[in-house]
Amino acid sequence: MVDLEGRRVLLVEDESLVAMLGEDMLLELGCEVEVAMRLDKALALSRTIDIDLAILDVNLGETCSYPIADLLFERCIPFIFATGYGTAGIEPAYSAVPVMQKPYQIGQMATMLRHLLTCETLTRGSDDGGKPVACTCAVGRGKIEPMPFRAD
Amino acid sequence: MPSRGSSQAFDTSTTTLPTLRRGSQLHETERRLNAVLNNASVAIFLMDDRQHCVYMNRSAELLTGFSLSEVLERDCPLHDIVHHTYPDGRPFPLAECAIDRAFPENNQERGEEVFVHKDGHFYPVGFTASPIRDDAAKIIGTIIEVRDITEEKAAAERQRLLTNELNHRVKNTLATVQSIAAQTFRGKSDQAARQMFDARMVALSNTHNVLTSQNWESASLRSVVEGALAPHALAEVDTARFDLVGPDTRLHPKVAVTLAMALHELMTNAAKYGALSVPDGRVSVHWFLIRIEEGERLDLTWTESGGPAVEEPSRRGFGSRLIERQLPMEFDGSAVLTFPPSGVVCRLEIPLTTLGWHGQAVVQGWGT
Repeated sequence: MVDLEGRRVLLVEDESLVAMLGEDMLLELGCEVEVAMRLDKALALSRTIDIDLAILDVNLGETCSYPIADLLFERCIPFIFATGYGTAGIEPAYSAVPVMQKPYQIGQMATMLRHLLTCETLTRGSDDGGKPVACTCAVGRGKIEPMPFRAD
Repeated sequence: MPSRGSSQAFDTSTTTLPTLRRGSQLHETERRLNAVLNNASVAIFLMDDRQHCVYMNRSAELLTGFSLSEVLERDCPLHDIVHHTYPDGRPFPLAECAIDRAFPENNQERGEEVFVHKDGHFYPVGFTASPIRDDAAKIIGTIIEVRDITEEKAAAERQRLLTNELNHRVKNTLATVQSIAAQTFRGKSDQAARQMFDARMVALSNTHNVLTSQNWESASLRSVVEGALAPHALAEVDTARFDLVGPDTRLHPKVAVTLAMALHELMTNAAKYGALSVPDGRVSVHWFLIRIEEGERLDLTWTESGGPAVEEPSRRGFGSRLIERQLPMEFDGSAVLTFPPSGVVCRLEIPLTTLGWHGQAVVQGWGT
């Protein structure tokens, strides 16, 4: 099992109390955590800081975290979305990104982050015309259904 | 709403003004006016000085179910054709009618009424009435524009139901979480921790009460401050020991919730160790609204006095973390918590307009 100890994780979550919980879970998993609660701060961080993984709350109040996702794609930093709405709440362009269901659970969080580290299928380069491509294998096959168009 | 298909049911030749001689300029003007009137989506009625309808456009025919020729044939006030019965079935005499009782004094007087369709069903309308004057400025008739507002009414009703459901769900969810915690930790944790948890749930719940009363659009700053202090003010602490001074304003729901939780933590600390732990201690909460580039900033200072000599705490707990770290990060503001011997002081600076939420101008307009 891949160890999460010492991994640097960017956590983007706009609710103070929920951000606290997420940060505590990541710390418990041995990660180093950078928290951003606002889109501007999160964008600045995801441009500059050295991170291994990221967790993006999809809904940031009046905005969404998709611009952060785009930046992370560019930098080939694997990430997951966190949302209370389920995969249906994610824009189709980002349907390949693994989704962690809220409320946060430390077990689920650990599984999904480890998955990001072991599954290195990020497409590098721009031969796909810059379209976002993420790690597309389903987490814990059988538990989370693959996207229909990848059912082959 | 009138559908496109039903427009075929009427002979559109009835809805034209009397035709003038072909080729004249008046004829051309009239042709254009008819085109304007009959393509307008709003129903337009022209009333004479007896409240009889002498002209209605095609939309008016679709709206009422009557053709202009039918209305002219009846030779009675329009009220008796489209507005004769209250929705509860009582007759609606002309004398009681807001639209027809008198000529409008001013242009574009507005209101809402419920009309009766030719087929007997009621439909809500919004109307605008303006007087028509002769050359001597004497009022000789009325022009009335009428819109079917069934969809708007239905949307408003759905909105009301959803808001009620939201209020209900949120409160129930908080109560459920409280119950789950109570069941889960029964006999397994110390009572002090349980009490602290319950108090925090109550603080959160109280803030939601404030949001509920404002339809989740905003919360009054003063209500948030008072709400956060209320549970303590009720229990043995004299309200005269609080000094709350500052202008009221509207807070975004996110600011309201986090600020309320922060104040709750300060309050709890004051009651346990600070100014409110002794009979003579006092708490003052003073705040100002400062104009800044992007709008407004709330500067709030919590000051305790008259309590036991304060020492800097050896470890920072939930309250400190929420106030000093989370709150500034969430709102791009600042928070300074200090522990001078005279009493805890907490200074918060929260920009109120950088969130860029929808309808902000409207909401803040209420506060001015």
